[in-house]
Amino acid sequence: MSVLEVRDLSVTFTTPSGVARAVDEVAFSLDAGETLALVGESGSGKTMTALAVLGLVPPPGRVGSSSQVRYQDRNLLGGSEAAWRAVRGAEIAIVFQEPTTSLNPVLTIGTQITETIHAHERVTKAAARARAAELLQRVGIADPTHRLDSYPHQLSGGMRQRAMIAMALACRPTVLIADEPTTALDVTVQAQILELLAALKAELGMAMLLITHNLGLAAGVADRVAVMYGGRIVESADTDALFHQPVHPYTAGLLRAAPRLEGPARPQTVIPGAVPPATAWPTGCRFHPRCAFAWERCAADEPPTLSPAPGRTARCWLVEEPDRRRA
Amino acid sequence: MIARVWRVRRVRIGLALVGMLALVALAAPVLAPYNPVTQIDVVHARDLPPSFAHPLGTDPYSRDVLSRVIYGARMSLAIAAFSVAIAVTLGTAVGLTAGFAGGAADAVLMRLVDAGLAIPRFFVLLVVLALWNTVGPVALGALIGLTGWFGMSRIVRQETESVRHREYVTAARAVGCGTTRTLLRHVLPNVAGPVIVAAALGMGNVILLETGLSYLGIGVMPPTPSWGNIIWDGHDVMLNAPWISMAAGLAVVLTVLAFSYLGEGLRRALEPSAT
Repeated sequence: MSVLEVRDLSVTFTTPSGVARAVDEVAFSLDAGETLALVGESGSGKTMTALAVLGLVPPPGRVGSSSQVRYQDRNLLGGSEAAWRAVRGAEIAIVFQEPTTSLNPVLTIGTQITETIHAHERVTKAAARARAAELLQRVGIADPTHRLDSYPHQLSGGMRQRAMIAMALACRPTVLIADEPTTALDVTVQAQILELLAALKAELGMAMLLITHNLGLAAGVADRVAVMYGGRIVESADTDALFHQPVHPYTAGLLRAAPRLEGPARPQTVIPGAVPPATAWPTGCRFHPRCAFAWERCAADEPPTLSPAPGRTARCWLVEEPDRRRA
Repeated sequence: MIARVWRVRRVRIGLALVGMLALVALAAPVLAPYNPVTQIDVVHARDLPPSFAHPLGTDPYSRDVLSRVIYGARMSLAIAAFSVAIAVTLGTAVGLTAGFAGGAADAVLMRLVDAGLAIPRFFVLLVVLALWNTVGPVALGALIGLTGWFGMSRIVRQETESVRHREYVTAARAVGCGTTRTLLRHVLPNVAGPVIVAAALGMGNVILLETGLSYLGIGVMPPTPSWGNIIWDGHDVMLNAPWISMAAGLAVVLTVLAFSYLGEGLRRALEPSAT
């Protein structure tokens, strides 16, 4: 059963240069205990999707009227701010990319963790503090009771991210959103944080929405992968299937562009062109100006979400006309 | 943070001076050799020059100037503290609301503040106080505070506006904090620095303002001593008995200097960009 289901999610921004469709008709579902990776370049709408799931789209952003964020079969987008607050942090928690800026510099780590607990549960200060120490211990911070009184600037980047994770887990959420959780960290620390997230996920039975631009990371951690381009999910599939047989030319391009350590050396390939601005998506398929296979139909009509195989989706006309791939 | 503030020399000097002044104000009944309103001898003890009995001489009404200056410190500092407290509270409340809400609320509040800033404060106070027969010190402090929060609200609004977009504010909401909690716990402490600086500098300004109003005879009412009306008491006999006005004038200068040192020092300590 899916714990989190997103249907027809759109986020638009009215800017001086027109309406920017940052997230457009995004749909996915997340089963209990599952990890879904949302992969895409900068500006593809990944982070905005995550914020929309928490009802935190910053103004002047607007969520489409037919959009739905269903948590345990209840549409949160129709609900009140109080209903959102009850869900945020307690049911759906998020770990942001940059622990340096997402921790408040003037409050101690302990204050920030206990705040999450106090926001959702009626517990004594001492009990909350004891739980915060336990959480720090669990995320691998040595001398947790002492560390509770540390300010963020007294911790290293990796420790800060561990503290952020402790904060997110404070109320045992069912869904954890990890928005580029390792991007801001040293390479040596990245693997540790990922291992920690995987272990905690298994231990607590959480579902995880992992947002990343790093395909290797998605391959290692996720059960399923959804690739975003231009505010849309262009392809989604089980991780193995997606990596072995990408359907969408964009996914294939991303895979070819990823550097590899094994196998014979080969020149680095790139996807030609750049992501167009969100105020001026091309007509038809949003990827067609950069696509090697594009033909007239791609420029004229936008492909709907098609299903090339059971459990897979792709927004590409090649699903209907596979012969063109060889041309 | 306290250590960082203390390392700035101006803060130490400013705090020492302010502390000394506060002590004088609080201990006025102990320190003052005479009752500040007692007329010692209306015939023989007018405009006496400084002596052992009267270190700062006496004024035209034969009152001890030192005692009046000491009690004046009490009055001036109390009025300044009260009015700055009002200005900080109002300015912070309005600035936080405008900066955090944004949009229409922000626009309306800030246009009101613009209007407030456009009206010359001194003349508003002049008119109100002139029409109001007997103004007590509390009402005077309140009036000064109520007309002095506009600048503060702009500072707070600007800081709030920049803090509001920081990721930790989004993070606070993402763990389930409501608007009030987010504002008071996460935004307010991060805008406190400039508020503290502005409050310290504001103390000096308010003391000058109150001195001016009292000098004109519409601030603190005689015989209650305030530095402004002591300067007035001495201004007719400036050539014969300059110590009267000068004593109070020096007290004003020293106080304003102390707060300005403190404010500037705090600015250097709390706003790294200013150095």
